[in-house]
Amino acid sequence: MLVCAVLVTMVASAAPCPATDGSSCSSCHNVRLSGVHAQLHCRDCHAGTGANTVCARCHRQQQAILSGKMASRSGEKEFCRRSWGRADKDFFSTNCSGCHLAACSDCHGSGHAVILPGAKQCYRCHNGYFVGWDFAGRAPREDSVRYQRGPRAQGRYYLKMRADIHAEAGMGCADCHSMASLVRGDKSSATCRTCHEPDKRIIEHSIAAHLKQMECSACHAAWAAQEYGTFYIRSENSSNGEYFRVADKKNNYIRSAYMRRQDAPPLGLNASGKVAPLRPQFIAYYSAMRDNRPQGEENRLLLAQWKAFAPHTIRRAVPMCDSCHANRRRFLLQPLDKRRLRPDLDGLHLESFWRQQGQQVVNGSFYPAARWQRLHSKTPLYRRKYVEKWREFLKTDAPSCAY
Amino acid sequence: MTLAVAAVLGGAWYADRSRKRAGCRSCHAQLEDVSPNHSGCVSCHAGTAAATSKEVAHEQMLGPRNPAQPQYWQDSCGRCHPFQLRRMQANLMFTNSGFIRNIRLTWEGGEQGVYATAGADTFAADGTPLHLLPVASLDNLAGELYRKYCSLCHVGIESRQSWRASHAAGCAACHFPFNADATYQGRDLTVRGKWPYSASHRMEALPGDDVCLHCHNRSGRIALSYRGWNDGNNGAVPVRQAFPANMISGGRNISHIQADIHQRRGMECIDCHTSRDVMGDGYAYGNMYQQTEISCEDCHGSGAEAPRHKVLRREHAAPLREGRSYRRGAVNGDVMVLTAKGRPYSNVYYRDGRVVLVGKRDGREHISKVITGSAVHRIAGHGRLECYACHSAAVPQCFGCHTSYDKTRLGIDFIRNEMTPGRFAEREDYRRVYPFPLALDQRGKIAPVTPGCQTFVTVVDETGTTVRREDVSRFRAKKQLRFAPIYSHNSSTAVPGCSECHANPQFLGFGQGGMRGRSIEVTLLCEQGDDLPLDGYMVMRAGRIKSFAAVVREHSRPLNAAEVRRVLAVNQCLVCHDDAKDPVYQRPLDYARLDACLRRAGDDGCQRRAVSGD
Repeated sequence: MLVCAVLVTMVASAAPCPATDGSSCSSCHNVRLSGVHAQLHCRDCHAGTGANTVCARCHRQQQAILSGKMASRSGEKEFCRRSWGRADKDFFSTNCSGCHLAACSDCHGSGHAVILPGAKQCYRCHNGYFVGWDFAGRAPREDSVRYQRGPRAQGRYYLKMRADIHAEAGMGCADCHSMASLVRGDKSSATCRTCHEPDKRIIEHSIAAHLKQMECSACHAAWAAQEYGTFYIRSENSSNGEYFRVADKKNNYIRSAYMRRQDAPPLGLNASGKVAPLRPQFIAYYSAMRDNRPQGEENRLLLAQWKAFAPHTIRRAVPMCDSCHANRRRFLLQPLDKRRLRPDLDGLHLESFWRQQGQQVVNGSFYPAARWQRLHSKTPLYRRKYVEKWREFLKTDAPSCAY
Repeated sequence: MTLAVAAVLGGAWYADRSRKRAGCRSCHAQLEDVSPNHSGCVSCHAGTAAATSKEVAHEQMLGPRNPAQPQYWQDSCGRCHPFQLRRMQANLMFTNSGFIRNIRLTWEGGEQGVYATAGADTFAADGTPLHLLPVASLDNLAGELYRKYCSLCHVGIESRQSWRASHAAGCAACHFPFNADATYQGRDLTVRGKWPYSASHRMEALPGDDVCLHCHNRSGRIALSYRGWNDGNNGAVPVRQAFPANMISGGRNISHIQADIHQRRGMECIDCHTSRDVMGDGYAYGNMYQQTEISCEDCHGSGAEAPRHKVLRREHAAPLREGRSYRRGAVNGDVMVLTAKGRPYSNVYYRDGRVVLVGKRDGREHISKVITGSAVHRIAGHGRLECYACHSAAVPQCFGCHTSYDKTRLGIDFIRNEMTPGRFAEREDYRRVYPFPLALDQRGKIAPVTPGCQTFVTVVDETGTTVRREDVSRFRAKKQLRFAPIYSHNSSTAVPGCSECHANPQFLGFGQGGMRGRSIEVTLLCEQGDDLPLDGYMVMRAGRIKSFAAVVREHSRPLNAAEVRRVLAVNQCLVCHDDAKDPVYQRPLDYARLDACLRRAGDDGCQRRAVSGD
């Protein structure tokens, strides 16, 4: 579709080419294009000066993507400024500049092999903790070297998870994220309701409040990678770094997480006020050492930020009623006496990761405690549907296999 | 009588000291006395006290560092403590025959013969003679694994290079504790700062929790969980003084969880565990759960039975002897609570209708809450639960243990004390402490289980050829993964609510996931099966329930389909009857009444109704 920077650069650096039309070029350059580009003359692209401007001659409207969020990284930069950037002003350029859309060729293939991007191209950036990998059933592993095993993708080991039902059905990223939507800066070109109308015969769908107040993903996102406590440790001239036996060490930084989970994500309210999955992004800690001595406060909590998001782990299977209606932890309302993990005793400045105190949602809000009380109260309707649900699940027309 | 013996013994020791001590003390002037009644040097260490040179003085010594190690204990500690020595020689912490048996069951080597750290003749729990075979002759993968991986947690061997986990060999393993880096920190300047030595020359009659932690920080990790420590993801964070905070052996870092309720109340490991639990009673048991004589019910009672007790009437009763090292020991006439094996505790009393545990070291009194007869502990069907099915807060679970054994590399054989071909390495998938699955344990009761183990074995032979790759071992004649019952030692009074357990199939072993129709769809997957949970052992598809892994130990198994259905069916009642004290739960539930119950309740909801006499 688009021709790329690499192509132009290659030609520019070669010897001057006397040819003025395609037929003469091919006497020296054995190049074959496919698809619509096969009809072009070499000079249609190669007479240009800049990489992306060449593509822009035909694909003018798409050029906006190169000044959009994937290129400017404005969201990430703004986040860094509020978090690790407070401790290290060069943090973004040191640790975050790898995923930066700069040219058409980043997604559309290199050289003359111009392609329509598939999931593989998206995963080059949208991997690890970032939404994308989950679509293929991949979750980040714990950071210790002890967990670095198993299948790999994008150069990292991953934990094998259940893939999104759309991935299983053969769909790709572009089926919901069209070029046009990306150019517009929209999250997607299709929502669940574009294709799906909830079947009211399904018990959960028969409850009006569910359909009105919840994102589909609140129930249908089967799991989500959650990173609790993201540590960046700046290490200069320190042999102590050897004791940090984790996979991710580069640019004088050691990166590790206090804990990871891959189960059903906590819930809160997104920007539209609907119940949606939330995850830490990020609960950011910073430490620094030089000459094996700590520099400044260790484990400094810079920001405890959560984000409402859409895990790409959609399944028909959903949790039972209690996993929301009877689970305070799911809404970050864990009572102190129900805590099992004690990050406070590890000096992490939070009583619990699953308490709202001291944390914030950047694109929505935590679920209000008073509203949870209503959610938790068992109305006659709730009781009837609840029993109905369990009856359906436990129905025995087939003989059970006593193993 | 007791006084007379003490006088005679004291006189002998005094004479011993006045005759020989001068020689040793000329160098070791400031060395701490072991205890007020262990003050001679050569009576434990042997050697030649009268010699004037160090070489001659030390030549005949036992050890010389540690006369309590098994090569010498017959001639040192055992001369005065023959009863304790005989107990130790059959003790599982010394023979490790439980360890080795379980490794053989789940790795390779079957059930023929009983192997131990060393060959010996002893007696089995039923009193019949038992010959223990030396593990040095166990020539298979299980033997290799034990000798190269597991044997450092054997009180017969000195472990000296494990941070916070080193210990001496023999009696000294517990009674002369090492500190974190195994260096002597006492007053004797000739030894001070040297490694590996016990932290002090003073004997610890009552080993503290750190002693137990030296070994019980891996596998079941009970000493960690008890004090509120979690061998979590070993992610090396947080940081403390430019090191990973709270490090322990193996380059692991420990994070915090809520500590066990008993620990929070100030109790130590030895306040519950009797000397027979930890040192044995002279018989060679097959597994630690058989050697252990205590249970929760001893102090707290069961739903149906109150704690049992007995008056001390004999002057040689074990509690009187053992209590001599306690802050407050028992005296004749005291009423002692009995262990599950019917022997009296030495520090738990029955007084004025109450069970009182007295701290062995600090003498503090703890009133035990007896639960017998309370409605929540008499729920029909819950008689099958171990106390810790509900009262465990955190249960360490390590999913996916990928072990490789490479014969092209050398590994240290700690039993044979040599480097031999074959080195082990481990990688892992995921760890979690909650929720945890439940299954039947060796008592046929429902208890938490943890992977034990989900081992995937890769073997590389001498030529560098991979001869087994991610292979699942055979157990009970079938290739299958295994889970093991566990009391994690992280008990809590804050138990889960009824539906927290009944409505979450993870507690039944299904792994995390959701429900669709009459199927459970899991999300954390085993690499070797497209639809099997990594974090469980049960599957339910279109109403059909079955398990695909075993629970180790006799009488143990996952819940069967009928039991799973019974657990889940309760949810139909729990939505209205949500108080565990509700009389409806005091007898088996009759689901035939459910429709009538719902009809009666109508749209106003299901009203709570007492069914007793209904």
